[in-house]
Amino acid sequence: MKLLKWCYDALSSLWLSCILLFDLGILTWLGTLEQVNTGLFEVQKKYFESWFFIHHAGPIAIPMPGATLVLAVLAVNIVLGGLVRMRKSKATLGVLITHIGIIFLIFAGYVKMNHSADGHVTLFEGQASNTFESYHHWEIAILEQLDDGRLRETIAPQGDFELSLGATPVKLKSNDLPFELEIAHFSPNARVLPKGPMITPKLPVVDGYFLDAIELEKQNEQNIAGAYATVVERSGGARQEAILWGASRQPWTVTVAGKQYGIELRREQFLMPFTVALDDFKKEDHPRMNMPKSFSSDVTVVEGPTKRPVKISMNEPLRQDGLVLYQASWGPSNARPGDPLFSTLAVVDNPADQYPLYACIVIAVGLVMHFTRKLAKHIKSQQSNAS
Amino acid sequence: MNTIIKLFASILATLSLVAGARAQHSHTQLPSRSAPYSAHTLELAESLPVQDGGRVKPLSTYASFTLLRFNGKSSCKTVDGTKLDATSWLLDVLFYPEQAAEYPVFKVDDIQAIEAIGLKLEGKKKRDRYTFNEIRPAISTLFERAREYGQKEERDRSTVEQQVFTLATSIDDYIRLRTHFDFAREPQSIADVPALVTVFGKDSVSFSELMTKLPELVELQGAWRNDPARGEDSKRLVQLVQTASEYTSGTETLALIPPITSVKEEEAWHSPADLFMAAFEKQSTPTPYIDMLAAFEKLALSSGDPLQFEMALATVHNQSVAKTMARGEYEKIPLEISYYKAQFITNSLVLFLIGFLFAAGMWLLPRVKALYWGATLSVVGATALVVGAIVVRCMIRERPPVSTLYETLLFVAGVGAVTLLVIEWINKQRMALSVAAVLGMVLLLLANGYETLDKRDTMPQLIAVLDTNFWLATHVTAITAGYAAGLVAAAIANVYLVTRLFGIKKNDPTFAKLLSRMTYGSLAFALIFSVVGTILGGIWANESWGRFWGWDPKENGALMICLAQLVIMHARMGGYLREFGLAAATAFQGTVIAFSWFGVNLLGVGLHSYGFTSGIHTALWSYYGVQWGLVAVCVVHYLVQRTREDAVKQALATRGGGPAIPTTQGRAE
Repeated sequence: MKLLKWCYDALSSLWLSCILLFDLGILTWLGTLEQVNTGLFEVQKKYFESWFFIHHAGPIAIPMPGATLVLAVLAVNIVLGGLVRMRKSKATLGVLITHIGIIFLIFAGYVKMNHSADGHVTLFEGQASNTFESYHHWEIAILEQLDDGRLRETIAPQGDFELSLGATPVKLKSNDLPFELEIAHFSPNARVLPKGPMITPKLPVVDGYFLDAIELEKQNEQNIAGAYATVVERSGGARQEAILWGASRQPWTVTVAGKQYGIELRREQFLMPFTVALDDFKKEDHPRMNMPKSFSSDVTVVEGPTKRPVKISMNEPLRQDGLVLYQASWGPSNARPGDPLFSTLAVVDNPADQYPLYACIVIAVGLVMHFTRKLAKHIKSQQSNAS
Repeated sequence: MNTIIKLFASILATLSLVAGARAQHSHTQLPSRSAPYSAHTLELAESLPVQDGGRVKPLSTYASFTLLRFNGKSSCKTVDGTKLDATSWLLDVLFYPEQAAEYPVFKVDDIQAIEAIGLKLEGKKKRDRYTFNEIRPAISTLFERAREYGQKEERDRSTVEQQVFTLATSIDDYIRLRTHFDFAREPQSIADVPALVTVFGKDSVSFSELMTKLPELVELQGAWRNDPARGEDSKRLVQLVQTASEYTSGTETLALIPPITSVKEEEAWHSPADLFMAAFEKQSTPTPYIDMLAAFEKLALSSGDPLQFEMALATVHNQSVAKTMARGEYEKIPLEISYYKAQFITNSLVLFLIGFLFAAGMWLLPRVKALYWGATLSVVGATALVVGAIVVRCMIRERPPVSTLYETLLFVAGVGAVTLLVIEWINKQRMALSVAAVLGMVLLLLANGYETLDKRDTMPQLIAVLDTNFWLATHVTAITAGYAAGLVAAAIANVYLVTRLFGIKKNDPTFAKLLSRMTYGSLAFALIFSVVGTILGGIWANESWGRFWGWDPKENGALMICLAQLVIMHARMGGYLREFGLAAATAFQGTVIAFSWFGVNLLGVGLHSYGFTSGIHTALWSYYGVQWGLVAVCVVHYLVQRTREDAVKQALATRGGGPAIPTTQGRAE
């Protein structure tokens, strides 16, 4: 009981609040400076989406709690210390409201981190799509032509094979398939090279080619993943081997039990409940300058039998069926007048999309209430002192 | 016909080289200005609209920032040492180029840059100003070196290489200006080509006259080219057009010709080069443009006679203003001229300085009431001028108060001074008034320094993502107000630290308590704006980029401010920080604000690329160094003092009691 009480006191204490806030500040500072040398995606994973990590300050390795752990404990600290334990009175009402807002904000972050998906759909004028693909995550898709002409996709998300970093393979199985797929030597950034006479590859050579794992790019979107795949037939155990590479133009085709399958490593794809077609992309510069003034995509959103035209521009996204589509990018950057242009629309599926706005309102109300009250009290005491 | 255009185009393509060479030659028969410009001439020139940096602005603004870029200030000196304002300087460069070539307007910070281009000039200091004529013999080497250094990233260039590169850019821009009106200076003779005399009805042709017939001439050239009997005429025709093209080459820098259509139909203004290219592609040039070109010709040709020059300038002005007004682009021009003439920021800076001097006197002679009122009036006046400047800028640009880094400095100065005046009004203890004078002065000095460093129009167009008045008005304003209040708190905290370190007012515990309360109050104000501003920034990012928080350096900087302020507030509430601790931590918090405000811009990474800055390392690190040093010294001093007090207390306790010793530490509120 004493231990429980000690834990409660510790978790609801102000000193813990101070330590956690200070630690979060240090993490933020380190994570900011690290971005000069390391890409944002890696920094985010290391400092802000981790429970623990090792920070290297020159030759010294310092174990540190990650922002996930700090924020989780902070949420508990605010609930216990800032809501449950805190004295409830008119004087503390503003602080209580502010704490509710901050907890809501942390909750929004939790939902975003664990229950959201984001990616992009890139379309040339005249093209349409009902899927968007991830910027960062990969998947292995096994494609199979069904008898009725439809295409069936069996998907293995990156989480299923990303630990197959060495020669020991990870096995991917599905009851719908007559084979198992073994994945080995997964590399988040790799290139495929031909085996020349002067080259001694570190990884196996398949059909005269091998996978060369290279350093991660600073911009994670530029990394191209690769892996070795082996199809092992269930009946008989025959093996077929290939290299899967994220930039391959065609899937690897294998024939198992007289049926053809396509296997590809690709960016994770998500299905949208509607189709978006790019009718026109407009980029305007300020007069006599190369500085962009506005970008916008005129799209048609097709959902069942209904079609509606929508303009997506900077700061004016499209919100539909829980998805939000933003004007993110365009290209080709070296396009000349009259060349066909593509537009990249960032797509986000985040159930907590509007939570920060609500949290902001709650926090602002709380802070204004609290400090206005304090200011009024201070002025009153000044006046009474003066009189 | 396309073949003819291609043939001409290939000829014209070589002309940029010729133009460069032309620019280096002397104008032998150009007049010199014998008297200063009349007030009316200057007024006409200042209010002549020009499109530059994506917006329509007065020529005076263009002149001012162009000269600032070359010379490091918005005025210069003539050969005889007479001070020249930016508009007069620009008029001289445009219409009296040989005279202006003698003005020392190219500031070079290190003479090694001059030596690197092969020049050896006697009597020059390490940092000095050079005339165009002094640089002229080394122009080829200068451009050659600049091309070489331009291959490198800016951060990889040495200081000298960077200076050579900057000088080359300035000289290139300058050459474009001094040759801008070459097209207008003298008509071309065609007396030796009777066929052309027939076309034009005279034996010499001005640029504007040539423009009326250019599509016809292109057709004519097509016909003459294949006619052996017209061989010489054909060559002369090509030469005529070549020369006109050469004269207009480089005029793109100064777009003085407003389109005759509406802004919606055509946003970009014209230069003679644009009109020439359009006519060359066989589009006939509308009469109003021809009239404008003719007016420029008259202006250039009348530069020898001040009265004629003024009349010609009035004609150009009237034509330009009428068109600009018809397009609805002139409304803000007079206001912008008035804004710069009023010198809000300089005058405010002077008033803050006077306020500071009064405040210093006020502390030395506390019984002299006049000093208090002098300080109050100066600081209130200075604050009113900064706020006025911010309001006028909002009116000119039709934007919320903060949309550039320069404007954050003005806004922080304004909000900081207003906050301190409110604190003074509540407390009436003279301290907030004094801090307002110092803070206002420092921030406006920084604003002036930043303007000189940046050397660009401080009211620029914004990139697409920033082009939203709603988010600029909410997020940017709130976060900048947070900077202001946080710095006010840091400034008051520094006063606490310094007074304590030097034992000032050590017998007046209410003074320390007052400073502590002021620090806390400002910090509370800062916290509200920092937190709300940061979250609003996240919401804006969610609307623009699809994510609330991306751990981008600028976002992180804002979060660090919030966290620093929250730590201080909570530690104070828990009693871990008392008077001294609050002051030390709040002073440190000022450096967190500086890191977020300017420090992250130096990292050169992240989505907020529009805020990247360079050249402020020294100022920033000086602030960090001084602030951290002061805090460290004060902490050591505090610890020593406390140890001594503890020892005394212990000694008294051992002896069996004695009078209570007042501690150096106050209680948290």
